[in-house]
Amino acid sequence: MAEDFDREEFDRLAGEFRYVITDMICRSGSGHLGGSLSLVEIIITLYRRVMNLDPANPKWEGRDRLVLSKGHAGPVLYVALAYQGFFPRAELKTLNADGTRLPSHADRLQTPGIDMTAGSLGQGLSAACGFAMAGRIRRREHTVFCIIGDGESDEGMIWEAAMFAGHNSLDNLVAITDYNRLQIDGFTDEVVTLEPLADKWRAFNWEVMEMDGHDWDDIYATITAAQAVRGRPTMIIAHTTKARGCTVAENLPESHNIKVPDEAAFEKYICALTCRDYELPYEVD
Amino acid sequence: MAETPLHELELRKVYAQTLVELADGNPEIVVVEADLGKASGTIPTFSEAHPERFIDVGVAEANMIGIGAGLAVDGFVPFCASFTPFATRRVYDAITISVAYADANVKIVGTAPGITTGPNGGTHMCFQDLAIMRAMPNMCVFAPCDAYELAACVRWMADWDHPAYMQMIRMVQPQVFDESYLFDPQRAVHLRRGGDVTLVSTGWMTPFAIEAAEQLAAEGVAVDHLHYVSVKPLDEESLVESARRTGYVVTVENQSVIGGLGGAVCEVLSEKLPTRVTRLGVHDQFGEVATEEYLLNKHGLSVEHIKQACREG
Repeated sequence: MAEDFDREEFDRLAGEFRYVITDMICRSGSGHLGGSLSLVEIIITLYRRVMNLDPANPKWEGRDRLVLSKGHAGPVLYVALAYQGFFPRAELKTLNADGTRLPSHADRLQTPGIDMTAGSLGQGLSAACGFAMAGRIRRREHTVFCIIGDGESDEGMIWEAAMFAGHNSLDNLVAITDYNRLQIDGFTDEVVTLEPLADKWRAFNWEVMEMDGHDWDDIYATITAAQAVRGRPTMIIAHTTKARGCTVAENLPESHNIKVPDEAAFEKYICALTCRDYELPYEVD
Repeated sequence: MAETPLHELELRKVYAQTLVELADGNPEIVVVEADLGKASGTIPTFSEAHPERFIDVGVAEANMIGIGAGLAVDGFVPFCASFTPFATRRVYDAITISVAYADANVKIVGTAPGITTGPNGGTHMCFQDLAIMRAMPNMCVFAPCDAYELAACVRWMADWDHPAYMQMIRMVQPQVFDESYLFDPQRAVHLRRGGDVTLVSTGWMTPFAIEAAEQLAAEGVAVDHLHYVSVKPLDEESLVESARRTGYVVTVENQSVIGGLGGAVCEVLSEKLPTRVTRLGVHDQFGEVATEEYLLNKHGLSVEHIKQACREG
């Protein structure tokens, strides 16, 4: 793949991602911090070690696809895309700014490297099924990845797509649930429990795997194992921590969409990052 | 063996045949159904001709739209069909975001529009699809009136690289056009010229409007009849030109009077040439199980109603 794994380098990169994501969101005044930070290791692994992509040709037909169905985690995807060379890193500071190509929710028409628009929850897994069917009709070998939220899994459309993918044995489809156990109104177990989540997906004729969504080895081993599954789609339930790495927000429902109205709030979130020893990839005032 | 003329076929047969012909020459054409492939005619005509490009998602219309969006973003041209309420209002947000906002090249087909779904009654009788689809950015809205126009519309949609919605009557329809018909969404079809009243129709109501205009001619009322296969984009120029000559406009559609063709006509005229308009259609009511004749009379859509409205100019 694109780059060999170096644990020290990846740890440093994850810290830098968290620093940049938090800075971008705080600078824009508000944003979906929790669900972006919970995906950092997974997104880095996908983009640095797993996915077959060509940043110079974002629409290359043979590429692996990724549908970020929980489109509000756009910021973590933007950082990955910028660091992989899909667009200049300096552009990251335009998140949510007037005229930006980096809107809060992933938009395929705006940002190089975004495969599908998402934001109205529950729709991305169906689009991923469409990508998977397209790959099958064209007899292509690519993998279609789809990341859904745990709260998003309340949506009925997710289960329509789940039934379809299971029935059609879409083994070129690998979905990942970001199971940070929080949604806007509280813990998923309290709002509407998803349990038994693994059994649900198994009952829909999916292969089901679980992983620690912050452990480099586990993530890589699980995703590559999922790609090797034949005859059925795979759901990877990723156990993650919402707002991982930002101590004042970690595992709190409020981390879903933080408000940063002033300098004090900005300092609160930035200073709460467990690692801050990084240069921002853009100039700041 | 001579082929059956299109106007002797059920329109769903024409739809499926046209898709097969398109798919024969274009490997990107795919059909996505939600357990109503038989109702829309693609089973067995398309499903047997191109089984690898026929996808049935089961009773899951939103998933049909989402899968269509994925296929479209990957370069395919999916035609997704269901009864009009389930192809539009049930999945309105999925179409809005995954198709229109994402500019996914999906073709959405709503079958058995308005009162033509008679025996299925109020749950299936959608009077607002033209209105709600028209309100969506990046969406064309078409309502063909006969077999030739339907076939031409489907062909145009297959060539168009953006989303589109089409109402499809399923049964045999009176012939209005022939093989020479050219589909042009930018132009209304001027079916009859006259100076007394402008009659504007679309979709299933157009043959009724033609009959009304003919009978009115015998009475000495000269109707200027515009048929709009495209409710969006709407040919404003033809409308304003006709209204300027006649000074009175009647609209007729197999839809609610709120927001559909009648609404669109009033929007244009109120801004460009304030003109008195009578809108024939369903007045803010739900449908019900009934024959077409009963519903035409109940909602004031019969030929007699159209004539009466035209005489009031």
